[in-house]
Amino acid sequence: MAKYIGKRILMFIPMALLMSFLIFGGMELTPGDFVSNMISPDMAANMTPEQLDVLRESFGLNDPFLVRYVKWLGQIFQGNWGYSLSSGVPVKDIILQRLPVTLELALTGLFISAILGSVLGIVSALKRGSLLDHTLTLAGVIGMSIPQFFFGMVAILLFALNWKIFPVGGRTTPDMVHWYEHLRYLILPALVLGVTQTASVMRYSRASMMDSMHKDFVKAARSKGLPEWRVNLVHGFRVSMTPVVVLLALRLPMLVSSSVVIENVFQWPGIGITFKEAVSAGNYPLVMMIALIIVIMVLIISLVLDILTRVLDPRVRLE
Amino acid sequence: MQLLPKLSRIEEGEIVYHSEDQGDIVLSKLKKNGKEMRSLRGKDIAMIFQDPMTALNPVYKVGWQIMENIRQHEDVTREEARKRTLDLLIQMGIPEPEKRIDQYPHEYSGGMRQRAVIAMAMSCNPKVLLADEPTTALDVTIQAQIFELMEKLKKEHNTAILLITHDMGVVSEMADDVIVMYMGNVIESGTAREVLKHPVHPYTRALLASIPILGKGKEQQIEPIRGMTPNPHNRPKGCQFEPRCDFSCDACRETMPGEEILEGTHMVRCHCWREVPEK
Repeated sequence: MAKYIGKRILMFIPMALLMSFLIFGGMELTPGDFVSNMISPDMAANMTPEQLDVLRESFGLNDPFLVRYVKWLGQIFQGNWGYSLSSGVPVKDIILQRLPVTLELALTGLFISAILGSVLGIVSALKRGSLLDHTLTLAGVIGMSIPQFFFGMVAILLFALNWKIFPVGGRTTPDMVHWYEHLRYLILPALVLGVTQTASVMRYSRASMMDSMHKDFVKAARSKGLPEWRVNLVHGFRVSMTPVVVLLALRLPMLVSSSVVIENVFQWPGIGITFKEAVSAGNYPLVMMIALIIVIMVLIISLVLDILTRVLDPRVRLE
Repeated sequence: MQLLPKLSRIEEGEIVYHSEDQGDIVLSKLKKNGKEMRSLRGKDIAMIFQDPMTALNPVYKVGWQIMENIRQHEDVTREEARKRTLDLLIQMGIPEPEKRIDQYPHEYSGGMRQRAVIAMAMSCNPKVLLADEPTTALDVTIQAQIFELMEKLKKEHNTAILLITHDMGVVSEMADDVIVMYMGNVIESGTAREVLKHPVHPYTRALLASIPILGKGKEQQIEPIRGMTPNPHNRPKGCQFEPRCDFSCDACRETMPGEEILEGTHMVRCHCWREVPEK
């Protein structure tokens, strides 16, 4: 097991490097550069190309691509993540402040979709062909087809504007005293995020559960005289859990990206909103670092995932 | 054991278990996953499955799965159950049981898995052991070992074995009584001697004729049964074997023949068994 984890961590390093290279290369291909985004258009109109070039030279932007990449990477390793072009705040501070806010939303959403999705999936599989199963299937298809932002806006309209149960958006009130007051803000976006993800988790765990319920070992478990709940949960569900966990973990990075949408709908001050603003403002240092952080998170998740599937399913081996 | 899917049904007759302490129990009348049925499963009546590769749950240790059966039916501590499981593994002839008990099914070989499945079935000393083609997934040398083991258990634990197979060699070696079934119907039954030495039903005969005999060489004629088994959703009206039978008459097309006792315990269900020429 220790050897397996060690191997897997070693594989992580070249992948992270490759991704950082792709991000840097991708930014290189976009029109405009650091200087053209840093200086306001009015100022740039008054500057001669020579002056701009001097500026570029002073930032080292005329160096060859690879030299700049290595410099960039070196600075990141030293903890210097650059400064936001729009506010001048260190990128590191922005990310450290915004990322936990996003994770809070994404993890709550994941938790909701995991619990709701697998429970409904199991029920649906066990009551196969019943009215409940058909209703859930239909709801699942509808849930999968509705875009998140639409779902979010309907939720705001109903729960926040019409019934006034939850606030419209935001994360905290300035005069908040207790931490749990903040939960009121969290519930609606987390529910929207969770429920929209539930549909596919449900379909997946239904299929996986039905698959394992047809296996001989379920019949064998029944032949031992075990009660039905034990046959279903301990034998059926435990085996069908592995692919569902894989799906959920693969969802996590998607949750971060879909939180870009949800955060904008609900004005949730997380990294999603920051990312959107940074892209539209051409805020290079911030865009690159957020992208890199998300990529590294995905890599870490897949690392944890591999270890987790190994724990769940003793048959998996690293070749 | 009422493990079959909902679609399957008993058209006639019933299944009665003569239990030692509770008298006769009509199994076919018990609720499918009810308490009474479950208290018999795994304790009085146990089952060995056809394919040991799939009969064990891949995510639990073999020992745990055997202990689960013991602890379901008997009020024993974890340590006791473990000790009994170890004893069972030793009885089944599994080498290094101390190590094997904590291994997962995929770490076992095919023959060993079937031994583990048998250990699981035997863990509460059942009175009846159902074996559904227990060796079809195993190779011939392992087959012999498994049957030897079953024979030993039969003698030592006084367990009745209900063996489902189409291996006539195994039947003649293991069985006391034989029931031949075709499309879910009993068509001939009796002691092993009666059925195998003097088969009467055309299907039984055809079955026996279709087996190659060791020592007869490559030239021997193996007679396959012509045609295919009918689709269970679209069964023939009368005798189920009629479309494939060489000796069928009009009555066979119309009605399923009734039971006819030949002598002693030998029973057959065939309209025209008298017309079938002796070999």
